[in-house]
Amino acid sequence: MSDQTYGNVAVFDTRPEKSITTESPLSVAYHQGQAPKPTQQSQVVLEEKPFLGHLILRGGAIVLDEAVRDVLGMSLPGRPLGLAHDSSGERSVQWLSPDEWLVIVPGGEEFDLENRLREKLGNAHFAILNVSGGQTLVELSGEKAREVLMKSVPYDVHPANFPVGKAVSVVFAKSSAILRRPSEERYELVLRRSFADYCYRWLLDAGEEFGIGVKR
Amino acid sequence: MTQTNRLKQGGRIDRSKVLSFSFNGKTYQGHAGDTLAAALLANGIDVVNRSFKYSRPRGVVAAGAEEPNALFQLGQTEAAQVPNVRATQQALYNGLTVRSTNGWPNVQKDMMSWVGKLGGGFMPPGFYYKTFMAPASMWMTYEKYIRKGAGLGRAPKESDPDIYDHLNQHCDVLVIGAGPAGLSAALSAASSGARVILCDEQEEMGGSLLDSRETLDGAPAAQWAEKTLESLAGMDNVTLLPRTTANGYHDHNFVTLHERRTEHLGDTAATVNNCRQARSRMHRVRADQVVLATGTHERPLVYANNDVPGNMLAGAVSNYIQRYAVVPGSKLVLSTTNDHAYRAALDWAEAGREVVAIVDARANPDGDLVKEAQAKGIRLITGSAVIEGKGANRVTGARVAKIDAERFAVTGQVEELVCDTIASSGGYSPVVHLASHTGSRPTWRDDILGFVPGKVAGMHFAGGVQGIYTLAEVLGDGAQAGSQATKASGIDTLKDIALPSVDSPRESPACALYQVPHEKPTLRAPKQFVDQQNDVTAAGIEVATREGFESIEHVKRYTALGFGTDQGKLGNINGMAIAARFLKRSIPEVGTTVFRPNYTPVSFGAIAGRHAKELFDPERYTAMHQWHVEHGAEFEDVGQWKRPWYFPRKVNGKLETMHEAVSRESLAVRTGVGILDATTLGKIDIQGPDAREFLGRVYTNKWAKLAPGRVRYGLMCKDDGMLMDDGTTSCLGENHFLMTTTTGGAAGVMEWLELWHQTEWPELQVYFTSVTDHWATMTVTGPDARKLLSEVTDIDLDKEQFKFMDWRNGKVADVPARVFRISFTGELAYEINVQANYALHVWKTLFEHGKKYDLTPYGTETMHVLRAEKGLIIAGQDTDGSVTPEDLGMYWAIGYDKPYSWIGKRALTRSDTARKDRKQLVGLKPTDPKVVLEEGAQIVFDPNEEIPMTMQGHVTSSYYSPNLEHGFALAVVKGGQERMGQKVYLPMSDGVTHEAEIVSTVFIDPKGERQHV
Repeated sequence: MSDQTYGNVAVFDTRPEKSITTESPLSVAYHQGQAPKPTQQSQVVLEEKPFLGHLILRGGAIVLDEAVRDVLGMSLPGRPLGLAHDSSGERSVQWLSPDEWLVIVPGGEEFDLENRLREKLGNAHFAILNVSGGQTLVELSGEKAREVLMKSVPYDVHPANFPVGKAVSVVFAKSSAILRRPSEERYELVLRRSFADYCYRWLLDAGEEFGIGVKR
Repeated sequence: MTQTNRLKQGGRIDRSKVLSFSFNGKTYQGHAGDTLAAALLANGIDVVNRSFKYSRPRGVVAAGAEEPNALFQLGQTEAAQVPNVRATQQALYNGLTVRSTNGWPNVQKDMMSWVGKLGGGFMPPGFYYKTFMAPASMWMTYEKYIRKGAGLGRAPKESDPDIYDHLNQHCDVLVIGAGPAGLSAALSAASSGARVILCDEQEEMGGSLLDSRETLDGAPAAQWAEKTLESLAGMDNVTLLPRTTANGYHDHNFVTLHERRTEHLGDTAATVNNCRQARSRMHRVRADQVVLATGTHERPLVYANNDVPGNMLAGAVSNYIQRYAVVPGSKLVLSTTNDHAYRAALDWAEAGREVVAIVDARANPDGDLVKEAQAKGIRLITGSAVIEGKGANRVTGARVAKIDAERFAVTGQVEELVCDTIASSGGYSPVVHLASHTGSRPTWRDDILGFVPGKVAGMHFAGGVQGIYTLAEVLGDGAQAGSQATKASGIDTLKDIALPSVDSPRESPACALYQVPHEKPTLRAPKQFVDQQNDVTAAGIEVATREGFESIEHVKRYTALGFGTDQGKLGNINGMAIAARFLKRSIPEVGTTVFRPNYTPVSFGAIAGRHAKELFDPERYTAMHQWHVEHGAEFEDVGQWKRPWYFPRKVNGKLETMHEAVSRESLAVRTGVGILDATTLGKIDIQGPDAREFLGRVYTNKWAKLAPGRVRYGLMCKDDGMLMDDGTTSCLGENHFLMTTTTGGAAGVMEWLELWHQTEWPELQVYFTSVTDHWATMTVTGPDARKLLSEVTDIDLDKEQFKFMDWRNGKVADVPARVFRISFTGELAYEINVQANYALHVWKTLFEHGKKYDLTPYGTETMHVLRAEKGLIIAGQDTDGSVTPEDLGMYWAIGYDKPYSWIGKRALTRSDTARKDRKQLVGLKPTDPKVVLEEGAQIVFDPNEEIPMTMQGHVTSSYYSPNLEHGFALAVVKGGQERMGQKVYLPMSDGVTHEAEIVSTVFIDPKGERQHV
């Protein structure tokens, strides 16, 4: 794969064809043995979902919505702070700002998706960015997951304020993160690569009293 | 040891559980449910501490947060030390170990007390200010000894073994205080469906209901409290936080609560299921509405020797009897201005001990409690007060006389009563502290003789805090405040709650009395303490006013009234009333001082939470971080990034110094090949038809003709014409650019672009997105760079096909990569960008192939030396916000004739920015090749000029160059561009003056032949 151009913009498939060793943003912590195994007493379980395809979409909602529906078979979330999934639950689109969305798809789909969206969007004014190497997704589950989040983010994560289908960019300790509520049982955090180790160690520390375990 | 003062029955303690504790090295027993203060009193311990300034013996005065004397150093081990723990707020646990914070060798025989006795008269307010003023240089010495003598607790010398954390909370209604007002407010709000947090600072919720003599629905009031708490606990919209003090009220109803989670169980927090637990927790509550139900603090009367152990608050006496079944003495004299305090005498009598007399300042008290006392046969002395206590380590008597409060005079014969306890009550001060934290001033109400809170947006008041004192009214007021707050939080369907029927005694009005007159004038009478914790007396306040301190804020600072951990809980109102009398003003005219957070002391652990040690600040890692760690890198903090600083090798069993490592790394790059992790540079993707136009407006140089496949260096100025950041920007496609920024400037540049786009040029079609973390960047540089890279890439590296300032894509180590031929070293260089998840593989592959070229990893220090040799600046090091591109001599990067004006252009023609003698960037070559000039050193033209010399510039970057084999520097010098070849001088603080020559900033390869190969 090499550079192609659509409307004078370069697109680039960053995935190698050969199978090579990949390292998630949490690899430093894993190397250093910071991943306690879940036990019977773990009231919080953390699991990283590494190497997914992450795309940032910039543009007007109406233009993008049509393209996303055609290509992904789902609509952009209708409201601010909305998070929508496709029927399989594997692909999601999240509102980030009035002209900005985050699309997460199974790893390897992102380049094809970008090309198809670019084709659909033609000459409209938009931008698509592959940021798959720049962030990772971490899932929290368990009865004390919400309390761990309360220790970490000033945002109100009570179900009355943070129901399923909501996603928000939050202050996370002294960093920031994207916090998502894909289902009743799970929370997701999208962490920036360079801050991921800090956020991860923070979560382990905050979850210590609940016997946090890491599923790998 | 026997608990001589413990009653056989009653109280809310568990007599079946006996707990041992140690006080000043001796072991005593108490019961589960005791506070430390209750247990001390149960054991008949009178002297618990020595006072701060005069070293007088002191006993327990109060039963809550307002206690001024029973402050202890807690902890069995050094690491577990906690200073200034209030015995009235510390639950008893087995093994609890405390020492008095003051008193040497012990509180009974205090060696410092002679200072108080002999020196007392010579220690007026302002004593320290006056005595130790001169010479100023001696203050540090004085302070050491003053502190030693003055006491208060000490910090532990060992690391705290416990963990702490913060919890962010949100609610519709936060109720502070779980007494009758708070309970009914919480019940009312919760019943209407509001998210409620109810916090209370005590071990047990219920407040005054727990020691009340009154009944609710015919049962003891405490039962209603228990029942209400049970139903609140069963509601999932309610969070109950006992042992939790609301310490700070901040703007927008942000309230910090300090929860003591394990302090009642032991010195350090025990593990649960092998998991460590937080000892304390800071709840950071963002409440839509706040109900303040903090009640009142009883005011003691200010009479002579009112600090001798055995002098207590009337309400505290009731509290110890009712809640802990502890009667803190045998013979009681009560001095009061109100009916409510009669409870102390009634409780005392019912406990089977002697009430010597009730001394009431009012002429004709006739409330129900007064009648009840008289019916019990207790002697009542009206129109009078205790004017002086007798005794040293314990009260032995009370001098009682008729007084005229208005005229401030003793009007009758003094009678001396034999007693061991004097309880006093001068009325009740609403606990307005939290309402004052954001600046709202309390207002005085004559009818309740107290300050009530001023208006605070989003805060409601319930019960005692706003001067409502009878139980029935308090309950009703609480319910009303609860529903008001609920409504204000946006809930419209309010549910009424059923309130219990109350059987309250009728009370007669109180009278105003603060300082009690004595036969002698205040300055000659025995000490009348206003603030026992800070040893402030009525005489001290008089002296302060006489010396001209008329503002209450000045009186406070001159006397230390209400300072520090005390925050004026007991003494402030009395102090103001006394100041008002001396100043012949009314209390509201004198006003209050400002109460500040925190309401009670908070441990640093709770404030820090988990923002400690390795989590103190984020550490940002690159994708190669683990490799750097494994290869012994020393790290430098660049913003929050951890960047390899240098890679010391072991040479002959010894680790290289930084100087040695940097010399080796620098030579490797100039003669072989080196590699740098350059991931941290900011990267911004810019897409859109107007991307090129936008670049032309934010950079000083031209972008109109940069073709896809090409790279250009750009300078970015603020609108004042000063350089803010620099970096290369590559044209990826006609409408697509990749901008790089400095590591530290990345976020600022991103904001800068968005600011100009959103506010000034919204018509430009362009989007900016940060891709800093997506790409990992490794710079391969040196004469052998091409040879090495050619082994692992399919990109044509031919020097004609892939020129300096070109970029190409292809594969490096089988990974798709964009390779930029740009150089920050002056050598042949390739910057390889790959998706970060694959970066470590690429990095390692380069090292596999790099062995034969001795591929040398280098860090930021070598990078600095190499770039400086080439005269390349670092924005933020060689510039400081006062340097223009012209000052840097970078005329080649300034597009004076661009069609659209760019940010900073206009500023360059201002007379100040255009003048010729501005500080301009030059190179400096020290005359002595061994000299490495100090960065920041000042430059003069005439080394013989008298001090103060005329400063002509300063050194911005300076290193030793192993390639040039001499020291060299970059500097800014006034008119420097016109001074090439001239000598300048750098006088150092050690008296040595260095000489250097002004030279070009480019020390190596001025023609650029090395990077163009």
